[in-house]
Amino acid sequence: MSELVYYVYCIAESAAAEQLPVDSLPAAIEEDAQLEWISVNTLAALVSRVPASSYSEEQLAEHLTDATWTAIRAMRHETVVEFVAKRITTIPLRFATIYLERDGIEQILAENSHDLELIIEQLRGREEWGVNVYSDRAVLLSSITQVSPVLRELAERAGKASPGQSYLMQKKIDALRVDEARAAVNRIVDQIEETLKAQADDGVRLRILKVETTEHGELKAKFAFLVRRSGFEEFRDAAERLAQEHQAAGIRLELTGPWPVYNFVTGFTG
Amino acid sequence: MNDVDQLIISEEFENSDASLLETLDHVLNRGLVIAGEITISVADIDLVFVGLNVFVSSVETAREVLRKREVE
Repeated sequence: MSELVYYVYCIAESAAAEQLPVDSLPAAIEEDAQLEWISVNTLAALVSRVPASSYSEEQLAEHLTDATWTAIRAMRHETVVEFVAKRITTIPLRFATIYLERDGIEQILAENSHDLELIIEQLRGREEWGVNVYSDRAVLLSSITQVSPVLRELAERAGKASPGQSYLMQKKIDALRVDEARAAVNRIVDQIEETLKAQADDGVRLRILKVETTEHGELKAKFAFLVRRSGFEEFRDAAERLAQEHQAAGIRLELTGPWPVYNFVTGFTG
Repeated sequence: MNDVDQLIISEEFENSDASLLETLDHVLNRGLVIAGEITISVADIDLVFVGLNVFVSSVETAREVLRKREVE
């Protein structure tokens, strides 16, 4: 039998964790292992055992180059954390946090209990919602020509000019239109951020890992917001108003969630 | 219920490819970093996102594997 180490999913209050017996929880990250709460005073960490052979530093780095291996584990991690976060206030941990010994986890809970309890208090009754902003380039470019006085005037003059001049003016119009479209998207994205932040406890702009082009257009910005459950209707209405306001410019908003609060527990390093 | 044509609500992650990617993005890059005895670095994670086409086809495979597990 190979050596086992501990994979840690999330942290919650012990009293709340007691409401979620392990046999009611989803499957652990590796087969043949049960989830387990490790409780120290007021705090509890949700863990399961994993083979040291797969989760050593070198093995992990190698596994991570295998997208299938990683995707399956990441989904299992998410399934567990999401299940818990839907029911009790939860601090989600980063994927693949491993402890060699049970003592190590107990120590982290004991030594950081004050900070962890503060974080839990700040998160109580709140959820994370993602907002993705997409831009349909063709719609945006044509709407820009209609609303920009400079572009309208140039287009009119190009219509009356000689073929040679008209060609040059058209080139200038195209370049200007691209510039104005870029500025318009930036303006709209800033407005979306500002408006939704006002409806949330906190908000962060996330980096875009890959430029995704979907049926809704190209992904221009990604945000995460920390929203009170009791204030979600208002948050959603504000997002909907923004979506309506910018629809004619080819902008679409996508709301995703609720997520475990992955983006609002990052300051802490244990 | 309001008209939600413009606002796309994606609460059912399982149902779309984009959502799986979205989930991976959330899970892999974020969450509380505590001093685990073994942790992965941001650079390791970014590797996973390199090569869109390879990644998407691998994720497709991953989804099939997950589905099979659920049926079993």
